[in-house]
Parts: sequence; structure tokens; C-alpha cells
Amino acid sequence: MEPEIARIDDWPARSRSTELGRSDERRRYEDLRELLPNVANPTPLVRVRRVLPDGCAPLYLKLEWLNPFGSIKDRAAAYLLRGLEDSGRLDGKELVEPSSGNTGIALAALAALAGRKLTVTIPDGVPDEKKLLLRMLGAEVWPTPDDLCPVDHPKDGAIALARSLAESGGGERYVMPNQYQNPDNVKAHYETTGPEIWHQTEGRVGAFIAGFGTCGTLTGVGRYLKERNPEIRIIAVEPQKGHRLPGLKNFQEAKQPEILDWDVIDEVVPIDDEPAYEMTKRLFREQALIVGPSTGAVVEAAARVEGEIEGVAVGVSPDSGLKYLSYFRELLGDEGTPRL
Amino acid sequence: MTYSTTSPSDSGIQASATLDTSGLLCPLPVYKASVALQKLAPGEVLELVCTDPGSLADIPALAHRVGHRLLRTVASGGKQTFWLEKRASRSESVR
Repeated sequence: MEPEIARIDDWPARSRSTELGRSDERRRYEDLRELLPNVANPTPLVRVRRVLPDGCAPLYLKLEWLNPFGSIKDRAAAYLLRGLEDSGRLDGKELVEPSSGNTGIALAALAALAGRKLTVTIPDGVPDEKKLLLRMLGAEVWPTPDDLCPVDHPKDGAIALARSLAESGGGERYVMPNQYQNPDNVKAHYETTGPEIWHQTEGRVGAFIAGFGTCGTLTGVGRYLKERNPEIRIIAVEPQKGHRLPGLKNFQEAKQPEILDWDVIDEVVPIDDEPAYEMTKRLFREQALIVGPSTGAVVEAAARVEGEIEGVAVGVSPDSGLKYLSYFRELLGDEGTPRL
Repeated sequence: MTYSTTSPSDSGIQASATLDTSGLLCPLPVYKASVALQKLAPGEVLELVCTDPGSLADIPALAHRVGHRLLRTVASGGKQTFWLEKRASRSESVR
């Protein structure tokens, strides 16, 4: 059957209406927020080949950078904001949130659409690309040394600073969505990411792999998938201490988020920076996947998983490599420049 | 919070700037002090007023970490006042 687009000349030219209205069929929307993912509009799963050793279970990456604001955090940010709005806690207040970038960017985009102000406290080591994106979206960005508050938990300076902003002055000015403690973060993945993966794999997912961060993804997806099939292995990726994998956390140096549910975690795979970045480079070059370094860590972990996986493995690709160009410049050195 | 460029203080120490963080909880005073110190020239002194008791640990730790000299601390009546002399070189970590 001819696709309808072929009949473009048949469309009546008589209508002068400038109101097109929403159309799922034509992927036409009135508001960017309509593109937020759910089972009916999932982010893609794409098979990863060549970079895994023989004998590994088939691995599919869930390409979360194809979300409207560019990362998996679009899901949590939307749920966090909706929860605050529904409870009335957002009334008349500005937002403040600690973020290594992606939650901040998603919150900044949603705040821009809603006409709200956002301040993001961001760890010092986060690449400039993310800080600039936040400022372009109208957020106020407070770069924060990890050891800002040496008497508090190490490596959590941005969290401590956001909390102090939210609590100072009687908490009148700011409200903090608090992705590390807010159950709406888990709910976002329990209601969207988990069901999407179950549906997209037709229930044949045997392992789910994601990095330790806020742990909303691991807890929410893990809980949903375990309820469908308790045999599904939920595998967490943990970076080394002092790592350079933005968005991921090592719990020897960062506080474990309250929303982390260890009951759904079956195993933890430690991954160093170097293999994570090398795998990221391979994903670019062998799979044309323009992904961030945390995706490299997830795929490297998939390559190291021991024992048999029943069915297919699904890994999270949290964000795009376009946010880490300054890191890649260091990684490449003079690689790819003319050899004279 | 107020940020001003007043000078003499009753401590006898000549401050180039005063920062009052009364009512702010740590580590916000530490952060604001770092930013205020960035605006000073090496050797200039910041007079910092805090009301969060955590500042008694946080401000000396900031001075130690970054290399500023903590000239004097006065704590009384729920208020802590610090006199910090900006160090001579090396950029601070808060940009």
C-alpha cells in the first residue's frame, strides 16, 4: 500500500487554518512534553553487536538519549515535578536540585516550559557542555567542589549545598525535588522504563544492567521486572573511587541514595574508567552509537557478566556523547588527526 | 545575606569585605565565602558572619583546604565571626 505521504499533492490547499492540532499518526505535537516516553511511546531498544565477547547473551541498549531533553532523566524529572505540583509544594517557589547534569537539564527544560526558575548545584567535575546547556535553558548553575562540606559526606558537596539552599530561610524560597530520596524517581521507572522493556522484549528480558547513580532506574525497573519474573538478573554497575564517569556513583565515596532497594539488585559489577572509555570509543566506531561514557561502562559490564542469562540482556544508555566532547578530546589525544 | 566592601571592624583587623550569612545553613556560608574570597586580592581580608554552628568546623576546613589564613574566630550569642585572609596564589576550587 502506498504510504499516505505520497498523496501530498492531494491535500487541500484551501484551508487557511494555522491550527494543525495534535496527531500521533503524523508525530505532530502541541507541546514537547507529549514526547515523554511511556509504553505507547518507548525509547528504542537497539541490538549491540561486535563489541561483546563470544558467548555473551544478546545485548540491547535502551537509547535514552532519544528522549525529548536528551537523557533518561527526562522520566524522573517529569515525575518529580508532577508530584510537587500535585501536592501543592511547588506553589510560588523556585526549584533547586543537585545534579550531575542530566536531571538538571530535564528539570530546566520542564521548568522553562512551565515558566519556573531553577537553580542547579553541580559537581565541579561535570563537563562544561552540561553546565552550558543548563545556563542556555535559563537555569542558575552553582559549580560545587565535591569536598565543599568536609564535615558532611565526602563527594556529595552538590547535594549538601542544594539542601542548604532549600532549608535556609525557613524553606520559603526553594523546593528541592530531591531525586536521591523522592520515591517519584523510582515510580517513573516502575511505570515507564520497566514496562517498556518488558513489552519491547516480549517478556524475554533475562538481565537488566544499569549504573549506580540516584538508583531510581535500578530500583524502579528492577522492581517492575522482578514482579514479572523473579529470575531476571538485575545488575548494577559501580565505578571506581575518584572515577570520571558523570552520573555514576561509587558508594565508598558517595552516600547511598535512600531510594536504592538492595532487594532487587542481584549483583554489582565494578568498572574502571579506562575500560569504560575504551568501550565508549568502540561503541562509536563499531556500532555508530554516539553515547556518553556511562553507556560504555554499562556495555563493559555486560561483557563481564558471569553465568548464563536466560533470554536477552537490556542495558541502559543514559545519554548522548555530545555532552562529553571535552572529555573525548582528552581521550583521543592526537588520534584521528593527520599523520604526516 | 549582605555583601559589602566596608572596612574597619571592632576586631582591630582591617577587612576589605564583609559577608553576613546569618540564617543560612552550611555549607551555603562556605560556598558564599569561597565566592566572596575570589573577588578579593591576595592578602585582603574577608569578615564573615555565620549563625549555623556547623560553620565552626566548615570555615576552618575551607581555610585549610584552599590555603587561606584564618586570622581570628569569635563565637558568641549564636553568631560566629571569622576573619579570613586570602591566600597568595593558586585559584580556588569554586569558579
